[in-house]
Amino acid sequence: MKRSLVLFFVSIFALLAGCASQNRPRYVWKDYSSSLYYIKKTPTEESLKYHKNLLLAMIEESKSSNVRVPPGVYCEYGYILLKEGKKQEAFGYFDLEEQTYPESKVFIQNLKAYASAPSKKDSAPGDNNDVKDIKDGKAEVSAAAEGK
Amino acid sequence: MKKATLYVIALVTMVILLGACVPTTVAKKDAFPLMYSERPLSILVLPAINMTTAADAKEYYLTTVAEPISYAGYYVLPIEVTTDILKSVGLPDTELVGDDHLRKFKEFFGVDAVLFVRIITWNTHYSVLAGNVSVGIECALKSTTTSGTLWNYKGTVVVDTTSSSGTGIGGLITNLIATAIATASADYVPIARRVNYMVLGTMPYGRYHPAFNADREVQIIQGDMHGHK
Repeated sequence: MKRSLVLFFVSIFALLAGCASQNRPRYVWKDYSSSLYYIKKTPTEESLKYHKNLLLAMIEESKSSNVRVPPGVYCEYGYILLKEGKKQEAFGYFDLEEQTYPESKVFIQNLKAYASAPSKKDSAPGDNNDVKDIKDGKAEVSAAAEGK
Repeated sequence: MKKATLYVIALVTMVILLGACVPTTVAKKDAFPLMYSERPLSILVLPAINMTTAADAKEYYLTTVAEPISYAGYYVLPIEVTTDILKSVGLPDTELVGDDHLRKFKEFFGVDAVLFVRIITWNTHYSVLAGNVSVGIECALKSTTTSGTLWNYKGTVVVDTTSSSGTGIGGLITNLIATAIATASADYVPIARRVNYMVLGTMPYGRYHPAFNADREVQIIQGDMHGHK
């Protein structure tokens, strides 16, 4: 009797484990989405600092758990540093993103070029061809939409 | 309790469990064949298209998307960074993004695919005795190489908030701001997460998923699949 009960619970567990998310990539996201949501809702110096520290904690914990840092986290952290004027440090994190996810190479290279442009606001249109291309796409689409 | 009764209970429970996780309708490979032929790896998430009257829905929603996409096995570019860049170069509303843009996204962002999210429902109903929140989204993943729609799905989650207690984030509430974050996001983030996992759960697994390319026969609910436009 007892045995059949044990068997029953074991099979239930196996079923649950089978359809739950146990079989998926392992990442340390911590409370990333809640924190991000909070800075959208309440963008204070304190909440921004919390988010920045959280990103760093995600990186550290991923390393100590021996799993890949979640996609984009190195880059997002670097981007915050870039905005703080710490370009060199920022680029270091951009490189880490590229090393962890080689498929980010094109983006990271363009992001660096974009960040290195003398002054984004003052530069004449066309200084960064890639960025200009996206704008041109806009013009085409807007024209097409107006034409309808 | 009689042995026979126990067996009946056991069987019924198993049937319910099986029914809950394997709704037999359509295999992923038949629903989204292009996902298996193109095998995209990297995804750019565009600013959401907001069809609701809740003006802030679109900004809030995107905070919950990266996580489930990564668990589906894909590389997702940092949404915080890409949204900023798209804003500064003056990307038009996502509704107006056409095939020309898709090619340019490939050039600048180097991505295989672009995710469009349309927020279709964002409602909060409160009355004296009951309350509920519903969040509905519609997603489409488009190839930057062929402009084809690789995957699309929609889903809505309605949550009864009458007796909801804030979902704590275990072990993390170490200071006041963490508590504030947990409280402020309890109304919405868990719901957005549920709808994300429901919708993105139908997406064939990407290269970082242990079951990549092994989920062709996995059945998904067809119901909401071709409902858009």
